[in-house]
Amino acid sequence: MPVIGFLVNPVAGMGGSVGLKGTDGKANEARLLGAVPRAKNRAGITLALLKKIPDLTFLSSGGEMGKAVLEQCGISRYRVVYAARSESTAEDTQEAVRAFIAQGADLILFCGGDGTARDVFAAAGREVPILGIPAGVKMYSAVFAVDPAAAAGVLAGPYGITDGEVVDVDETAYRAGTLATRLYGIARVPAWAGMTQPAKQVFEEADEERAKEEIARFIVEVMLPDTIYILGAGTTTEAIARRLGIKKTLLGVDAVLDGKIVAADADEKTLLSLTGKYPGARIIVSPIGAQGFILGRGSQQISPAVVQNVGVSQVIVIATPHKLRETPELYVDSGDPKIDTGFDASVQVISGYRIAQRKKIHRAL
Amino acid sequence: MQTKILLDEEQIPKKWYNVQADLPSPLDPPLHPQTHKPVGPADLSAIFPMELIRQEVTTDRYVDIPEEVREVFRLYRPSPLYRAHRLEKALKTPAKIYYKWEGVSPAGSHKTNTSIPQAYYNMKAGIERIATETGAGQWGSAMSFATMLYDLECTVYMVRSSYTQKPYRKSMMQVWGAECIPSPSTKTKSGQAVLAKDPDTPGALGIAISEAVEDAASHSNTNYALGSVLNHVCLHQTVIGLECREQLASVDAYPDVVIGCVGGGSNFAGISFPFAGDKLVGKHKDVDILGVEPASCPSLTKGLYTYDFGDEAGYTPLMKMFTLGHDFVPPSMHAGGLRYHGDSPIVSRLVHDGVMRAVAYHQSEVFEAAQTFARAEGIIVAPETSHAVKGAIDEALACKKTGEEKTILFNCTGHGNFDMSAYDAFYSGNLVDYEYPDKLIKEALGRIPKIT
Repeated sequence: MPVIGFLVNPVAGMGGSVGLKGTDGKANEARLLGAVPRAKNRAGITLALLKKIPDLTFLSSGGEMGKAVLEQCGISRYRVVYAARSESTAEDTQEAVRAFIAQGADLILFCGGDGTARDVFAAAGREVPILGIPAGVKMYSAVFAVDPAAAAGVLAGPYGITDGEVVDVDETAYRAGTLATRLYGIARVPAWAGMTQPAKQVFEEADEERAKEEIARFIVEVMLPDTIYILGAGTTTEAIARRLGIKKTLLGVDAVLDGKIVAADADEKTLLSLTGKYPGARIIVSPIGAQGFILGRGSQQISPAVVQNVGVSQVIVIATPHKLRETPELYVDSGDPKIDTGFDASVQVISGYRIAQRKKIHRAL
Repeated sequence: MQTKILLDEEQIPKKWYNVQADLPSPLDPPLHPQTHKPVGPADLSAIFPMELIRQEVTTDRYVDIPEEVREVFRLYRPSPLYRAHRLEKALKTPAKIYYKWEGVSPAGSHKTNTSIPQAYYNMKAGIERIATETGAGQWGSAMSFATMLYDLECTVYMVRSSYTQKPYRKSMMQVWGAECIPSPSTKTKSGQAVLAKDPDTPGALGIAISEAVEDAASHSNTNYALGSVLNHVCLHQTVIGLECREQLASVDAYPDVVIGCVGGGSNFAGISFPFAGDKLVGKHKDVDILGVEPASCPSLTKGLYTYDFGDEAGYTPLMKMFTLGHDFVPPSMHAGGLRYHGDSPIVSRLVHDGVMRAVAYHQSEVFEAAQTFARAEGIIVAPETSHAVKGAIDEALACKKTGEEKTILFNCTGHGNFDMSAYDAFYSGNLVDYEYPDKLIKEALGRIPKIT
């Protein structure tokens, strides 16, 4: 009997309608501006569908963070394992998730945005898969179902597990007009792409890990001597490092030369100096987040100046077929329009051993 | 306005045309997989009947088609040549498009042109059973049909991804009395080895070939049969081009462009070799011969012209051909019949010498072309065939730009009636445009061990 830890961030999304670009630390201000809580209604859509699945049980927080929504939807098979304070905070979210895991939750279903995803991930880590019901202002993280009904659809059937990046925008900077995202982690999420396909027509790679290994096998085969390879963040680039027998900084950028790390968790300055010193360097990146950003999100160390040093044509994009199925177009928003428009309208993405896919690129305007 | 150009049954060709006779110098010989010395007839006799081995190496310009084989050909040959008036109109092209419709064979494709003589020669040599492989199922069904005609047993190793994707191909083989096994299987050592390394593999033509060859080599009553690549297979397919030349001559035409899709190369060889021969002997120096391959498995356009094995395990002789490497498992695209790492040595040689050329397309654009064709001419072609259709349409559109009234001939090799799931994928937007990352590979090639 699957046990689902269920959590609602009651204030999620409120900042959006009143132009606050996020609700972190701004819930009261949003309320004063007339924002109405909407997370509860969004979660209600998912729960109404999940109610029809007889063998699901829920772990929940008290009050608006869970119990009230479950009751409203007529779900009785739940246990309250955490008592939230009246105005829930980031700490409440984390504490609740810890309590769910302690009580044997198989998956955390949460309703909120990127901020909530960060808090849920901070407690769940890679121990328990998480799935978001989208209700926030920003949802750059690859942990959300496309809509509340889809979240229920995912949980209704057997699902695999894949990686989903948890990214968030710096809201203070965002409110000031700068979009700066950071990669906070890589969560385990239900693989729901297969669910939305009409029928399984092609024998696809069953296993995403296997796909990563095939990509790594190919990249290692074509790596050239005396050449700097800048490896972006993520588990797909990590597979390359693993194949080389070196340790990758999962959330950071590393530089590799002749199979050895020459700069771990490198910053922009280090990358600039390395790419200046070694001509012919390559950048290997994998799309990050739900939108499939290949540059400009999550790996800001690979700055426009670094890309300029290396050359747009030397950027190697890698991604598993699973990831590519979820992202019909890739995005590039390096921060420098000259770099972005240097990309062709489509890019070759390495997706297996000597296999690539042609994907359209959406360039920031 | 004549649409179908038909020949009488009596005009079924009496001889196959062998382009080897007109090559300026002999082909590089196949080499023994262990000794790397040229293979002799004895090396091949464990898996092939002597007559096919003779046809493999002969440089005679013509080889007689046995009357017993022509008798069976009467079931569907001569196949019709169509003038694609409706397609021309839809494209608003001044070009004249002709297509040879090979989908009229009982198995639904050109493959019976060689499965029938191959089964016949094996029967004549006293063989009781054939082991073979199939990619998309076209060859497996063609061989099942042919072995039934001559009372032979037949075991078909079918690439697993196709076996799952196209269950009705397996059903056809069953109707004709053959056994169809998904490959890799546990029946052979080579299959077991692949499964041990990778139990979830989608399989590949190269792996299935290894299994069938091993099966044939380890059973004395069993021979192997290959549906493409080999010289004798290309030879048998020349009935297509020979008929086309007659049919076109009957309306006073000769092609400016001859087009076929290319996996192992046999249908392309079949339609083009008689015209390539005309080109080689100087009769029609300007005929343009175009092979169309998938961007995901582009051996002629992106491969290396070198010696390589024909199969995954390295049981077959080394052949000089365009290859992406025998260890390359092409992605599971819908044109399963074009998923082959190498190419016919003769086709490779002619492309290398500039007698023919090749282009590669992504799968979504070829399905787009297949749709255009189906909506103009009615026929829903196989995904493999759609590559040739795309090549022909692009040539016709080029004529529209230049105003040239070229005569375009293409080989319409088979129907897609068992490939509707591929069309469904096209309409649901789920077709993946696979391609071969040749730039990265070429850069690193110096470091990949050469086969010779």
